[in-house]
Amino acid sequence: MADTAPDTAMGAALSLSRRAFLLSVSATAGGMALGIMPPAASGADGAGAEFSAWVVIGRDDTVIIRVPTPEIGNGAMTQVAMNVTEELACAWSRVRVEFGAIHRDYLEKGVYSAGFLPFFAGHGTDRQRMKRALQLGASARERLKVAAATRWKAAAADIDAQDGVLTHKPTGRRLRYGQVAAEAARVELAVEPTLKPESDWTFLGKASPAKLNTPDIVTGRLVFGIDVRQPGMVHAALRQPPVHGGKVKSVDADAVRGMPGVRAVVIIDPANTKGAPIRPKATFTLGDTTAQWGVAVIADHYWQAKMALDALPVDWDANPAAAAFATVEHIRAAVDARLDKAEGRVLRKAGDVAATSGARVVDGVYATPYCENAAMEPLNATALVTADGAEVWCPTQDQQQAYWVVIDETGLPPESVKLHQTFVGGGFGRRTQADDVRMAVAVAKAYPGVPVKTIWSREECFRQGRYRTPITSRFRAVLDDGTGLPAAVEAEACFTGSRPTFHLTMGFDDVPYFTSGIVPNVLIRSSAQPVHVLNGAWRGPCYNSHAFIVETFIDECAHAAGADPLDYRLRLVNTWDQSWSDCLRTAARHAGWGRQLPRGEGLGIAISGWPQAAVHAMGTIVCTVAHVAVSPAGEIRVKKIDVAFDCGRVANRDAVAAQLEGGTLFGLNAALQEELTLVDGAVVEANFDQYPMLRLADTPPIDIHFDALSGHSRMDIVGEAPVGPVSAAVGNAIFSAIGKRVRGTPFSRHDLRWI
Amino acid sequence: MTVIRFRVNGTARTLDAHPSTPLLWVLRDHLGLTGTKYGCGIAQCGACTVHLNGQAVRSCQVPLETLRGADVVTIEGLSRDGDHVLQKLWAEMNVPQCGYCQAGMLMTAAGLLKTSPHPTDAEIDNALSNICRCGTYPRVRAALRRAAQQPPGTGGKVSHG
Repeated sequence: MADTAPDTAMGAALSLSRRAFLLSVSATAGGMALGIMPPAASGADGAGAEFSAWVVIGRDDTVIIRVPTPEIGNGAMTQVAMNVTEELACAWSRVRVEFGAIHRDYLEKGVYSAGFLPFFAGHGTDRQRMKRALQLGASARERLKVAAATRWKAAAADIDAQDGVLTHKPTGRRLRYGQVAAEAARVELAVEPTLKPESDWTFLGKASPAKLNTPDIVTGRLVFGIDVRQPGMVHAALRQPPVHGGKVKSVDADAVRGMPGVRAVVIIDPANTKGAPIRPKATFTLGDTTAQWGVAVIADHYWQAKMALDALPVDWDANPAAAAFATVEHIRAAVDARLDKAEGRVLRKAGDVAATSGARVVDGVYATPYCENAAMEPLNATALVTADGAEVWCPTQDQQQAYWVVIDETGLPPESVKLHQTFVGGGFGRRTQADDVRMAVAVAKAYPGVPVKTIWSREECFRQGRYRTPITSRFRAVLDDGTGLPAAVEAEACFTGSRPTFHLTMGFDDVPYFTSGIVPNVLIRSSAQPVHVLNGAWRGPCYNSHAFIVETFIDECAHAAGADPLDYRLRLVNTWDQSWSDCLRTAARHAGWGRQLPRGEGLGIAISGWPQAAVHAMGTIVCTVAHVAVSPAGEIRVKKIDVAFDCGRVANRDAVAAQLEGGTLFGLNAALQEELTLVDGAVVEANFDQYPMLRLADTPPIDIHFDALSGHSRMDIVGEAPVGPVSAAVGNAIFSAIGKRVRGTPFSRHDLRWI
Repeated sequence: MTVIRFRVNGTARTLDAHPSTPLLWVLRDHLGLTGTKYGCGIAQCGACTVHLNGQAVRSCQVPLETLRGADVVTIEGLSRDGDHVLQKLWAEMNVPQCGYCQAGMLMTAAGLLKTSPHPTDAEIDNALSNICRCGTYPRVRAALRRAAQQPPGTGGKVSHG
């Protein structure tokens, strides 16, 4: 096989290291020359005239909008383009969208991030980000008018811009945007134009265009990270220690030396992380992204790399910290002991819970397990590390995080690192930290001068996750003897996992039940049980567990009080935002709450809000009602789901509906069947045969109802909120159906037989 | 290494690679047809679905050595201009989210329509066993039900009824 590596681009030392077969040390030297020139700040770039880092208009009227937000399936990329289009008044059919580059943001001092972090997740309707996108569109539109006015020797104020056409109103003369784009790009406005009032919007909130990348999706042309191809590229298969935190003890590289296409075996040692030369500006800091020990086989093709890795004898040193936690039952015992102590940090305190007494007490322990994000695109990244710099192509959820991880792993100065955002085949939080990018760079820097695509097999993704943080919470309520509402609530949530970044309390202590004063005595604590298994972000981090737990507990309180669960919640949120009551009533009405159902069937309701619940008119509130049938043999069938929500207003109705449907199914799958287990401290489940996923046949009808929208001016994010209440709604429906209370997920592991 | 001749999207191909190489990786790494996706490697998820001699199959389970003389159609070859009835409906009904699994969904759905142009709801549910983590199932189902209602002989046209 010909070696296509550009050897001439490398120093002698690097060429030497390339000849070695077993690579264990980074061959990249420090203190290199800067490799990347800043792109032209303005002017024509070949394809068209660049109005700003965000907007390029071609002679053929094509408008390229460069968006720094990733596209993970939520349509954020299209949304930002819609925002620019609203003010630019170009023809939507001519809009193309590309990813803005974080390295350009660095070189040009924040062209994509001025005033906010644009990279994380991609909230296209965030107030500040939206304003900025609208302003960029308005600015380009006015510059087009000035250019046309100059050409016509007319007043810019007499020019109308619409659908990509400039019209001189007094004379009716017309120019297309593309005809004056080159001149317009050189225009500097003395004053930035004022944005039009939202009441004049013609596109946002009015149209529901499909994502701009949909045509490429349905024809297979869309380039996800795993589809990246670079000249001379080779492929790597990666394996990290089965027990998280373990080390490579020994590798018998000679065993695979003669296998087809195999080029090298790489040992990844975290000690080879170089460290960033200047203080990193990573979105989440770098603490949770440290390199793991690992082995990788580099080959001409991925299948060759995978076959060789499967055949490669590797001895691992287990992480001694794992000895105490061989199974999830060991972890649960440690968590229970911690909760028994009730010594957690106090998050919220009101009144005096100890002094509250009543005849009815509700007391329960609720728990969620480890779950894997299981995005359909396996983790991967392609990296080219040379003496002069690094270039990385990756399906990250957060360019800023990934960029600084590359800098940290290589030790290269930021100006010599280039990062290319690709389309993302699902993220769900897994691609926010960029530990996946770091491992790919760690492999590639041991094989410098050649682009290396590292793919984590599905098994590797499952066993090397940064999993949903399991939460176990004890809740105790004393009900008021008269009203039946809780007079006192005492709770402690114990987070499993050593990573405090993902010990989040949204949906726990901030729900209106505990903040609005309706429950006079409140004591809420949190604690954490460190373990070796790595936890991370999982769609609606921690909230997804808290919402299940709180809303199951409240349902138990309602039943203990002899109250209807809907009515009980309405009384509990009575002094809080109308939005909560509206969502409850709307979802319940559409679901036919209160109707008689056959034996073994029931309705369950739950409500929660993300990312803020305790702040008025903030976040997205979602109420979910599930209609569930439990067979006498204990099999659960979800027959129908109704969702009502309030995120203020919506910019793209159909895109919002899609997110609510998808988020509901994500939560439903976890509620019914997701759980990772451990043997000898290592994750057992490695693929979808062991970790079932809902399929089309299991999917109930899901109706998304827009009639609880408050019309408040915010357009809050909707991807996470629906993941919360669905699990509790289904669990509460199971109780309603057969009288069995499920205090832990997945429900499929409970004995729900009722005859 | 074994030399194998077969057809992909109507074009004759000759490949010299390890006989165990799955069609999935033949398409992606050797032929550069990356529309077919790797999702699980064990025929669970369906992201790698292609048509092999007219049948929808999971290409991760088809070794190169079995492909002699075979006729393979991938998402890139489903239609000439992206105008297969399902591709049109997928766009019109905003089916994809991240899109990663959708090539497999489309090839599975197109396979179903070949054998059963007007599938019942139960046939749709049974045939579409692909995994989508974004949760596009309700829209996949709705789009296929629309396709199932197409009057006979409409070919690639989308009915807006």
